Amino acid sequence: MKPIVEAKNLNAYFENFHAVKNVSLAVPEKSLVALIGPSGCGKSTFLRCLNRMHEEIPKARVEGEVLLGGSSIYDRKLDPVAVRRSIGMVFQKPNPFPGMSIFENVVVGLKLTGSRDRMDQVAEEALKGAALWEEVKDKLKKPGTSLSGGQQQRLCIARALAMKPPVLLMDEPTSALDPISTAKVEELMISLKKSVTLIVVTHNMQQAARVSDRTAFFLMGELVEYDESSTLFTVPKDAKTEQYITGRFG
Amino acid sequence: MKAMTEVNSVGSARKSFDPIFERGLKFVAILVMSLLILIIFFLYQLAAPAIHEYGWGFMFKSDWNPAKLIFGAYPFIHGTLITSLFALALSVPVSIGTALFLTEIASRQVAAVIGFLVELLAAIPSVVYGLWGLTVLAPRVRVTVQPWLSEHLSFIPGFSGMPYGVGVFSASIVLAIMITPTITSIAREVFRAVPHAQREAALAIGATHSEMIWLSVVRVSWSGVFGAVVLGLGRALGETMAVTMLIGNRNEVANSLFSPAQTMASLIANEYPEATNPLHIGALAYIGLILFGISFIVQGLARRIVNRVANPSGGGA
Repeated sequence: MKPIVEAKNLNAYFENFHAVKNVSLAVPEKSLVALIGPSGCGKSTFLRCLNRMHEEIPKARVEGEVLLGGSSIYDRKLDPVAVRRSIGMVFQKPNPFPGMSIFENVVVGLKLTGSRDRMDQVAEEALKGAALWEEVKDKLKKPGTSLSGGQQQRLCIARALAMKPPVLLMDEPTSALDPISTAKVEELMISLKKSVTLIVVTHNMQQAARVSDRTAFFLMGELVEYDESSTLFTVPKDAKTEQYITGRFG
Repeated sequence: MKAMTEVNSVGSARKSFDPIFERGLKFVAILVMSLLILIIFFLYQLAAPAIHEYGWGFMFKSDWNPAKLIFGAYPFIHGTLITSLFALALSVPVSIGTALFLTEIASRQVAAVIGFLVELLAAIPSVVYGLWGLTVLAPRVRVTVQPWLSEHLSFIPGFSGMPYGVGVFSASIVLAIMITPTITSIAREVFRAVPHAQREAALAIGATHSEMIWLSVVRVSWSGVFGAVVLGLGRALGETMAVTMLIGNRNEVANSLFSPAQTMASLIANEYPEATNPLHIGALAYIGLILFGISFIVQGLARRIVNRVANPSGGGA
């Protein structure tokens, strides 16, 4: 299958710290790739290179190449803002905009791009896509922050989906949620990959095994192993991967 | 067992110091509080003749003539409010802009240097501001700024009249400079309190830098910035020395921003040393009491707002 996102010899730095070391990784379209590894292994940094969020940190820089649908997102002529509009991102902690209603939170990105047509319809689709519509359809004017943590996270997913991105990045999207909310978000991830390509950083290996098609194991900034999840979690090729997934470190 | 009792005896010996220490702390705390009460009481006693003579109406009377023993506080309340509010109008855009620059745009080193310099403005003594205002600012205001303004902006009420140099206009400019560090540093704290996750949320949906500043920072900071502004107002209301040197000292209601006037603080500073009649002294003390009351309310309000923003656990954003 043709990859939709492809990192080639990607290196990421924080000032002098080399956080991601020469990683090459191809993500097939409409699949879910999980990035796992111990804290500080570079998986989140790698993720943040895929929508050019990494460079927002002072003195951080990126070398190498990331292709989205075959064209480079690090092209000099390209504005990072445009890249982020076509690659959604969901964060560890739900971060709806305070002081904005549920509806406003969903359509805030559309307003930025100036596409104000059919906002009601787009908002409904996005909320349905995030499996939140039934819970909030009668209170769209309530503040987004009035929702529970799990609902807020799905609201953030809806906010990203409203931009109709081909790729959605998730940085430990369930680590701040209770088990029931986590299960809902996991279910949502599985249903979303029919229409969107998902790249998900997770600390939770069971989660990676449950939801992902492919898994990438990072260690000390390097990509140790990248394979079908069914293979990686049962017959890992690398000894370090085996040690990690059997819980011997990390 | 023996070791245990020794430890205990040492412990109790140290414990016995606690009540003295606590009582000492309680004493100084009460001392500070009673100072406040004593000052209000002293001021009230001094003001009593004027309070009995004029009552609340004192605040709305416009005549002030110590020779004939006629007193009314309105021109000075007006002068105080107009200089403070005009100073705010000048200072708020600069302060908030600076605070946004320091938190959102400047690199850490640049922010440290500029932030330090802005705070140094607060270290310049009031009398030095007054001196600068009198010798450098007021002459230029008289010769250049005010004629230009009355030529081009006279359609705005207040931007016309004789260019004296000293007066509401110059006093407000100096006041604006003096309150800028206050508003800037508090607004900066308010902006800094916005979680990083909020900024990332905006960037991740494709906001430009300025859209991010608006969406994630400014939009949620209104109440905190309002608190910063009110705190600046509190400082402007009570400022005495520089204003006394620049306000022009005319005991009348200012009919233009260019005209000389008098604030509550500058009036007291000007007239108290020569006031002998108890009613005159009383009227000045009464004005002091009014100024105290206004400042008290303004500062209290501002502190509440700022504290609520700094510790959101108390409710509110």
